[in-house]
Amino acid sequence: MSTLDFLFDGFAVAFQWQNILFAFVGVVIGTAVGVLPGIGPMSGVALLIPVTATLTSGLQPEAAAASSIILLAGVYYGAMYGGSTTSILLNTPGESSSVVTTLDGYQMAKQGRAGAALSIAAIGSFAAGIISLIGLVLLAKPLSNIAIKFGPAEYFSLMLLGLCAVSGLAGKSMTKALIMTIFGLLLGTIGIDAVSGIARFTYDMPILYSGLEFLTIAVGLFALGEVFKTILERDKEDGAIAKIDRVLPTKQDLKDSAVPIVRGSLLGFFIGVLPGAGATLASFFSYIAEKKFSKHPEMFGKGAIAGVAGPESANNAASGGAMIPLLTLGIPGSGTTAILMGALIMYNIQPGPLLFEDHPDVAWGLIASMFIGNLMLLVLNMPLVKVFAKIIQTPKKYLLPIIVTISFFGVYAVQYTTFDLYLLLACGVLGYLLSKNDYPVAPLVLALVLGPMIENNMRRALTISNSDFSIFLTRPLSLSFLIVAAIWLLVPLLLKLKGRSVIVNDEE
Amino acid sequence: MSKTFDRFASIAFLLIGLLFVIESRSISVSSYGSTVGPNIFPMALGAILILLSIRLLFETTKYKPEDGSKEPLQYKKFIIIFVSAAVYAGVLEPIGYVISTFIFLLIAFQTMERGKWLSSIIIAGVFSFGVYYFFVEFLGGSLPGFPQF
Repeated sequence: MSTLDFLFDGFAVAFQWQNILFAFVGVVIGTAVGVLPGIGPMSGVALLIPVTATLTSGLQPEAAAASSIILLAGVYYGAMYGGSTTSILLNTPGESSSVVTTLDGYQMAKQGRAGAALSIAAIGSFAAGIISLIGLVLLAKPLSNIAIKFGPAEYFSLMLLGLCAVSGLAGKSMTKALIMTIFGLLLGTIGIDAVSGIARFTYDMPILYSGLEFLTIAVGLFALGEVFKTILERDKEDGAIAKIDRVLPTKQDLKDSAVPIVRGSLLGFFIGVLPGAGATLASFFSYIAEKKFSKHPEMFGKGAIAGVAGPESANNAASGGAMIPLLTLGIPGSGTTAILMGALIMYNIQPGPLLFEDHPDVAWGLIASMFIGNLMLLVLNMPLVKVFAKIIQTPKKYLLPIIVTISFFGVYAVQYTTFDLYLLLACGVLGYLLSKNDYPVAPLVLALVLGPMIENNMRRALTISNSDFSIFLTRPLSLSFLIVAAIWLLVPLLLKLKGRSVIVNDEE
Repeated sequence: MSKTFDRFASIAFLLIGLLFVIESRSISVSSYGSTVGPNIFPMALGAILILLSIRLLFETTKYKPEDGSKEPLQYKKFIIIFVSAAVYAGVLEPIGYVISTFIFLLIAFQTMERGKWLSSIIIAGVFSFGVYYFFVEFLGGSLPGFPQF
């Protein structure tokens, strides 16, 4: 069957009424998650896992997996749409990926062009979503054909590359980022060793045998950490919300932003495919590129529409691009895709090169539903942007305690242990302290997910080679992954030595 | 960047690395057909963590002195909410989801901002009952609902 046939089958799955509903619910919740400061895409996706698991409990396993991943992915890319709203209206980004949108978006809002900025952000996100999906469709099959030839040595090196990429770019200090990565890997070794069946670091506590649940840790570090931060630090006075007069952009606006949208989409897509470099970095690069290409660079920072169109397209394209390593290689490149992977594994569906052969309904159904979801977001966001802007006004007094209870609910409904609730609270405090002092927490979560996979592949490779570590260097693909990994760590280091400032990526 | 915190953290991570290295020595070596047993991976990681923490400790000596202007933190609010969250975790199973969530929300709302009891009670009530009935009755999930006698 050709790719088009598969895609056609995917649409058949995505157009089932319950899946249309799931995609709709996903993108609406995603937009709300994007608008609300405090809940990022990562905690949003993580907290919805118990709800989707119960929603889909009556379906066949494969259909259930397809439906819930459709909803969860909807939250992910929906958040990219919503993130721009607060940046433009309030000058406070809802997500780290829309930080640069504040530069020109808020200026536009001040000039009374808030509606144009918001709609250009939505149109750009839509175009980017479609472009990155076409890329996903075209690249999925060839990439998984290559990946299927990977042995354990290649997988080990590739995952190492992913971790190095995340640590090399995250945070201000690479030492701190590396410490967080190694700490995450170490936490991942707690529990029963999958290869030998020996319990490690459990100290005869049965609760530790299955290891620390990464959902608990991720929600604690991100959602609770952010809540604690807002409680502890005096809430800043929110500025007045800019008024939205006309929603539709003018013809001149459309003309000015068409090229930046295409450029941002392509740039964002390729950055998204790279592990570790996610939506935040994509939007930064796009902003810089637009400023370089622009005929009026002096307009940037004063309300240039290209400065909204480019980055907003780039961050959405990056979230589409990030699905590629997850689906074809089975390697998540960011915290949020790591959680999506955890959800797939819960349904006994292993992402990776075999996904497209073993579960074509899930893989292609998801891709097809992303087309539909992006269309829904465009239709929803244009007329409803005023409604979503209202969500910002939810008083913190009510919002923060409710986020705490939602986190409790999300963790308890999956784990059913009080231990995980205490772990959640501890991670919340840890998350606050760490991110306050520039220790990036995303590498920790990613390392926690990848850790067991890295170890298994390393030991399988070493079993093949009779414990000869040179297997990682003699296989050409594995060697090249390792070289790229080393470059990824060394280049920022060299740039810093030369005194150049390095763009950092505080991705969720 | 806080020098004291980074010093403290580097020593804490150093100890964690040390703990993993020492403890992984006591993991029994398996008979699985490879000399690379379950102890190698954590031991190597522990060693790397030790090296990185030493490096961080060195980096802290190069920090510039901090400027003293810091926002005062609202410890009182945080401690009340944190302690009540810990109690909430402890009583969730014995007294059930609805009552514990309601009480926690009420305390937290009032800690964030005094007054408006009526709206606090309504929001806490709607949320705790709403989540429970939506999840348990409508979706068919399972949660400890009410105290079991």
